[in-house]
Amino acid sequence: MSGAAPSPPTDPLLEIRNLTIRYRDGGRQINAVSDVSFALKPGGSLAIVGESGSGKSSVAGAVLDFLGPGAEVSGAIRFEGQDIAGLSPAQRRRMLGRRIGAVFQDPFTALNPALRVGRQIAEPMVEHLGLALPEALGRAEIALREMGIERAAEVACAFPHQLSGGMKQRALIAAALACGPSLLILDEPTTALDVTVEAQILRLLSRLRRETGVSLLFISHNLGVVRRLCDDVAVMYASQLVELGDVRSVLERPAHPYSKGLLASRPPLAAASRGSRLAAIAGQMPTDPTPDAGCVFAPRCPFHELRCSNAPQLLTIAPDGHQVRCWKNGVLGPWPRQAVVDIEEPVFHRGDTLVNVTGLGKTFDKRARFTAWRLSVADGRPLLYRRPGRVPAVNDVTFSISPGEVLGLVGESGCGKSTLGRLLLQLLRQSHGSVEFDGADIARLPTQALAPFRRQAQIVFQNVGSSLNPRLSVGEALERPLALFNLVEPRERTRRVEALLEMVRLPGAYRKRFPHQLSGGERQRVAIARALATEPRFVVCDEPASALDVSVQATIVNLLADLRDAFALAYLFISHDLAVVAQLSDRIAVMYRGKICEIGTAAEVLAPPYHPYTEILLASAADDEPPAVPQGASTELAVGHPGCVFAARCPHHLGSICATKPPPLRVQSASHAIACHLDTAQLALSRLGA
Amino acid sequence: MAIRRRRRLPLSLVVGGALVLALVAISALAQWIAPYPYDQMHIRDRFLPPNLTYLAGTDEYGRDVFSRLLIGSQLSLALGGTATLISMGIGVPLGMLAGYRRGATDELIMRTLDVMLAFPPIMLVLLILAVTPPSLLKTAIAIGVLAVAPIARVTRSVTLDLMSGEFMEAARARGERLRYMLMRELLPNIWPVLIVEASLRVVFAVLLGAVLSFLGFGVQPPAADWGLMISNGRAFVDTAPWISLAPGIAMSVTVIAISLVGDGLREVLDPRIGGR
Repeated sequence: MSGAAPSPPTDPLLEIRNLTIRYRDGGRQINAVSDVSFALKPGGSLAIVGESGSGKSSVAGAVLDFLGPGAEVSGAIRFEGQDIAGLSPAQRRRMLGRRIGAVFQDPFTALNPALRVGRQIAEPMVEHLGLALPEALGRAEIALREMGIERAAEVACAFPHQLSGGMKQRALIAAALACGPSLLILDEPTTALDVTVEAQILRLLSRLRRETGVSLLFISHNLGVVRRLCDDVAVMYASQLVELGDVRSVLERPAHPYSKGLLASRPPLAAASRGSRLAAIAGQMPTDPTPDAGCVFAPRCPFHELRCSNAPQLLTIAPDGHQVRCWKNGVLGPWPRQAVVDIEEPVFHRGDTLVNVTGLGKTFDKRARFTAWRLSVADGRPLLYRRPGRVPAVNDVTFSISPGEVLGLVGESGCGKSTLGRLLLQLLRQSHGSVEFDGADIARLPTQALAPFRRQAQIVFQNVGSSLNPRLSVGEALERPLALFNLVEPRERTRRVEALLEMVRLPGAYRKRFPHQLSGGERQRVAIARALATEPRFVVCDEPASALDVSVQATIVNLLADLRDAFALAYLFISHDLAVVAQLSDRIAVMYRGKICEIGTAAEVLAPPYHPYTEILLASAADDEPPAVPQGASTELAVGHPGCVFAARCPHHLGSICATKPPPLRVQSASHAIACHLDTAQLALSRLGA
Repeated sequence: MAIRRRRRLPLSLVVGGALVLALVAISALAQWIAPYPYDQMHIRDRFLPPNLTYLAGTDEYGRDVFSRLLIGSQLSLALGGTATLISMGIGVPLGMLAGYRRGATDELIMRTLDVMLAFPPIMLVLLILAVTPPSLLKTAIAIGVLAVAPIARVTRSVTLDLMSGEFMEAARARGERLRYMLMRELLPNIWPVLIVEASLRVVFAVLLGAVLSFLGFGVQPPAADWGLMISNGRAFVDTAPWISLAPGIAMSVTVIAISLVGDGLREVLDPRIGGR
């Protein structure tokens, strides 16, 4: 168990030595991977961790020969004792799929939508093992069953769009393993999935590893995921491998400043006080790193001194034996904690509300009624029927937000949390219920009369790629709200724009830039500045940090916390990440399929008694291997059944009552309520794994 | 770090642009460059092959083909330009409105345009031109109206794509009015696509105009129009091929030049390629 040991007992399965990859970009050469070496022993599992642009996927791409003609690859890649970099494309192709399987990030596009799933798993067996199609199809079904899919025959005959994301990823893993490869390369295989599904996939992978002995090369940005699955971890930063060792020693005793920073900037899964801030890594990763000129991390490193930038950093041995690329590694303290901001814990009084939502619901109606009709020929006779109505996206939601309060909203993708945010801002009109803002029922107002409300309530989005108009400069984007609401004299606007940029800690000169000249984090800062330009009192933050790397995410979360305190802003903070929500929120609401199942202060929600769904979310988000969560008997959409929305997946299912009667609201305290048929005592008892 | 977009123009744009500029200049100055009036007949010099006196030869009336070519370029370019302006002027607002509003507005606009698309284009123009006396403007309008539907469709699809952008939602969250949404948020993102589309439409309009003249529904003799010249020279194609060939070549050069400009612009204006 030591990634540093130079003489493993057996020959390594995959050995990469001095791998360097450069991309040509116009006339320039960009270092994507500089002199990376590591070895993976048979049956082992190695994770390559790093932020986007660190070069981690390029390493996998080099092994898989996916880099294309623009990449210049040098160094040795030995797989099963053979230098595969020197093989012909045809030989290489034969090796891929047979000896090396690969699974990629996005299960939603990785399957061919026009072919049945079973066929796609059978394909590599026909291609590489020379099986006849019927036999291969039979084996595909067995493979699906091994992936923990109960109705394997049904799934094999299904088309990809009929499967959930987790199911697709299982099918892709089955396809990658179809020919019994000795190495499985996984490039962010769980990033696009919900936490609960991620936990299931990780458990599946660790079981497959135990049972088949396949080696894993796991690419990820998520250190928590790595801990659950891998023996060894390699941390990459700006094209270099900065730390390499076994998971425990690297994650528990990180020796490189970057690893320390990365670990410190992850929000803990606990309620945070108003004044606490996440540790963050200042600055951003260089886009064209030059490792020969000195330490690539030096500009962002709090332990940096002059000598760091003078000479290239070499891999050395840390005190506990793993490799680290920092000459100071033995003498470094922990990553500096962010100073706690001196601020009083606010007290919110019910009744003193800014946003008040009562019985809010939204059902998306199929606009073209005609296309809702279907002709089916099931059971041998034609049947004309209308597709059943959709599940309401938001269903009878009631809560309130006080001035200056942050309500966190957590849930999986598709649970209706974004729809709820848009309903609050009246970007979507509700199907029923009311939204009051500052005492006025804005849900009844015509669109033209919403202008005063629009000034008071703004939104920050998730997608940093499309949140700014690509054809407007930063200055134009920020000036527009000022002009629209006539907030600032035209002569003063430039100065105000610069003040706004300064508020989000960007230089004033950025007003001349265009969105494509900004990094993801910078774009998100501009989007925040734009939302705050009208001096709103309420901001909906719809996954504002989810598309960003961990270190950048921490700075954005801190910025939002600072702005909250500086301007007494109220947020509806929407995220799928319970830890991020807990960091920022005074109260948390947990949403599942359009319903709020638990609401309470951050501390109350994160501690028992839990709603069974909250419990599963917490268990899935925890760093350690999560306890086996019983999968519900059916994950089918139960359209319009009157009971609890979570009944189908609930591990504490009580029987028919859950499916037939809506759960009562169990009030735990003045601020804490859980919608569940289990009574308070049972809720406090029901601990997973206990 | 100075991030300046490096101006590296594609060759197609440089070559096409130069050709188009030259064509425009020639047609603007045609009156003065042309060695002879376009309708001057040289009875003794009929059917002369290209020579130093008549650069592109003479036709059956002894008119200088080269002069007629130059003057004819005015008609072709004017027709192409006017028709495209008309179709863009109607098609772009319709397409944007349909894509922005969706719902009933969308259905109404797009289904109406579908009806227009259902007619064979030549038939439609012929119908209009056959029942009323021909004129250049009317030809341009007829051709222009024909292209409204495809332009509206392109505009609508680009608009739909942009509508999913969160900056559009941010603008709605500010309560922006329709005019601002269309003119400031959408149009700057659409026009690169539209310019490429427009270049394609100019090509079609020039070709269709020539076809109409050829069939006798466009410009009337003795006007010097390329389509008409090809039509007139048809009878003598075995003895005096230059009469038809010269306007044919001119036509090809024009079409290729404009297409090159369109291709080049596509490359320059695509934010994904030109973004850095």
